[in-house]
Amino acid sequence: MEKPWPKTNSDVCIRCAACTAVCPVSRVSPKFPGPKQAGPGAERFRTPGEPSVDQWIDLCIGCHLCDMACASGVNISELNLIAKAKYTDEKGRPFRDWLLTHTYLFSPLGSLFSPIANLLLKSGTIRWLADSLLKIDRRRKLPRYESPTFRQWFKAHHFNSHKKMAYFYGCYTNTNEVDVAKATVEVLEANGFEVTLPSQRCCGIPMLGNGDFKGARKLGLWNVPSLLNSVRSGLDIVFSSTSCGHMIKHEYSNLLNIPGSEEVAQHTFDIFEFLRNLKEGGNLNTDFRKSSLRAAYFAPCHLKSLGIGFPAFDILQLIPGFKVDYIAADCCGLGGTFGFKKEKYEISEEIGRDLAEAIDRLKPEIVLSDCEGCRMQIRHLTGLKVLHPIQILRDAMTR
Amino acid sequence: MHYDLIVIGMGLSGLMAAKTAAADGQKVLIVGKGMGSLCLFSNTIDVLGQSPTAMKMTDALSQWIEGHPLHPYSKVGLKNVEEALSSFLSLFPLPYSFQTIDNRNCLLPTGAGTLRPTFLIPTTMVGGISVDEGRELIVGFKGFKDFYAHYVADQLRCRGINLELPDLLSQEPTATALARLMEMKSFRENTGREIKKQLQGETRIGLPAIMGTHDPARVKDDLEGIIGAKVFEIPILPPSIPGMRIFNRFKEWLIRKGVTFLLGYSVSKAALKGKRCERIEVLHPPVITSYSADRYILATGRFIGGGLKADDEKVVEPVFNLPLSQPRSRENWFGDSFSSDLPHPIHGAGILTDASFQPVDAGGNMILENVWTAGSILAHHHCIDEKSREGIEIATGYAAAKHALEK
Repeated sequence: MEKPWPKTNSDVCIRCAACTAVCPVSRVSPKFPGPKQAGPGAERFRTPGEPSVDQWIDLCIGCHLCDMACASGVNISELNLIAKAKYTDEKGRPFRDWLLTHTYLFSPLGSLFSPIANLLLKSGTIRWLADSLLKIDRRRKLPRYESPTFRQWFKAHHFNSHKKMAYFYGCYTNTNEVDVAKATVEVLEANGFEVTLPSQRCCGIPMLGNGDFKGARKLGLWNVPSLLNSVRSGLDIVFSSTSCGHMIKHEYSNLLNIPGSEEVAQHTFDIFEFLRNLKEGGNLNTDFRKSSLRAAYFAPCHLKSLGIGFPAFDILQLIPGFKVDYIAADCCGLGGTFGFKKEKYEISEEIGRDLAEAIDRLKPEIVLSDCEGCRMQIRHLTGLKVLHPIQILRDAMTR
Repeated sequence: MHYDLIVIGMGLSGLMAAKTAAADGQKVLIVGKGMGSLCLFSNTIDVLGQSPTAMKMTDALSQWIEGHPLHPYSKVGLKNVEEALSSFLSLFPLPYSFQTIDNRNCLLPTGAGTLRPTFLIPTTMVGGISVDEGRELIVGFKGFKDFYAHYVADQLRCRGINLELPDLLSQEPTATALARLMEMKSFRENTGREIKKQLQGETRIGLPAIMGTHDPARVKDDLEGIIGAKVFEIPILPPSIPGMRIFNRFKEWLIRKGVTFLLGYSVSKAALKGKRCERIEVLHPPVITSYSADRYILATGRFIGGGLKADDEKVVEPVFNLPLSQPRSRENWFGDSFSSDLPHPIHGAGILTDASFQPVDAGGNMILENVWTAGSILAHHHCIDEKSREGIEIATGYAAAKHALEK
């Protein structure tokens, strides 16, 4: 049964401006009027059947920070997203946006031919062409492909246990940050879990963020039955990318009405949330080697929107000698595909600059974050080594 | 997940309760529906603004306590109110600290150009004390809609100007955008130089409260160096940047202490068994997460954040459905005149508690043995008229946590 999109009554907005106080985009750019205006404010002027007038709606980065600041319970970012979908449906999406949201189609090829692909991605000419023809900003480094992919590595990997888990690794991890997935598997195995990989495609969050509900829904409709299969055979699912997790746990049901997604959501956990639950039950392997690293941890927006606190930050404290500080900043500014777009690059960089300064105040040796987008942005802006916290945990495991 | 203590509400009282428990080594979860009114209205810390400025706060408070036995301050007790305030102050070391002027209330200018009494004053506002000599210059920014320099200046009988900065040409910056720009050296220096150019012998400069979020003391020092005059902040329309400084400081401190910090989620259900709260549920569609604790503190505030809800007939407390002290019927909610000197009865509605902040019924019987209450949701205060909101929040947040930990 098709439910209508959930629409919050914007009249419950009391115009208090808490959302504007936390919006990263309106903080750095006057082009975006801020969540109060763009969300419940503009909503009052939106009429179904009439053309969209929200030219600036595209500048909402989709961080959800406004939703979390609102004490009246207005889902501001959802209003923005629906308005963005309408605006881009009418205006049409450039080929560039199609390309950026369909990387999952060609990334296996990128991985297969990674030596050539990486040369091309690094090449100044290619980046200049991408910039002038496609409006993908040339200042943005394009992520490198790795070979073999995680899935290929996993095929040759064996570990048996009666305790089994399913893992949603996400397409970026599969081809561009394979070690994050390896680390996830290794930490789960160190805790006695055999990992299985349900068939999966891109979760669809890049499409959703670009206002392409149809495309995102199609991917959701593909993923959910496969994940449901795992759940119904008694497995819990973990994810290591907080954005994929946010999409699967909340947007699949809330915005996209994908049948079965509610059941999947009940059994899907962030990897550190899962480890924290193990610890709570006294079942976490805490046999860690001493470490002398000084790290800083950055909590991604889509971790905050999961509403689970900061489980990675909690678990990392268990490593003896390891010093990890909390980075007091909100939103890295990459916003998935947002920061790659030429017309948005400067906004992305300005938001990121606030984060880079917060990192600089802590002077860490290494930065940790659970989201690939945040990691990419922090590397880009600070030049520091940036890892997923699970990689640090894996390195600290004694076996 | 199981905790020693769960705090419901992320306003100043909830943050203070969480801080008190975390400092004691307890495993704490704090859950809040939104950022709370701290980020909207708070700038300074009011304790008992309605007491005469000539009076030392200690004396004013003990007199107040004597005359108002049911008031939250009376339940906390003078000694603990002072301890609570010191505990708050300890979170704000120099350079951005709060101070009193000789332990008394003093008058600070508002964004409406009036003077209001308040007690604990942040570094960036100290310069605004007793602005009545006509030697001030009030400076606004063209395009910034939450502060009206000429209006403020007219009220204070001094001069007001609006800066037209090239960086802000044809923009309508928000308070957060201005606060961010202020922390950029070039913008700060341009602002300072522009103000200096327009000085006509004024010795004090009043700016809207947007002097940065991370290092406002530095912004102030730099501006004073460039202009050669004292600089102070004046509160603006919401959001409040000084309020956010307080919120952010608590947030960072709590997270670093290992407190589970759930901002943006409201409690959808409190599961009770007999006289105990067994767990709370947080609904984040489509997932419901349960959290349990030995003790709970309810600090959900009044109407703005949904701590109290009103229908056509009465006021209710939605989480535990606790009995409230409230006017008998809706007809009695408000006084005859909107701006009468007497507080409107509805503002006195709130939760009845015993001396240790545990909710009780009209007969004084304890309702839930592991639940405490703190903040503006309590009955028997009129914080708007008393000018006591932050003080009540700090004192009762601290005291409720102390009582909860003792039991």
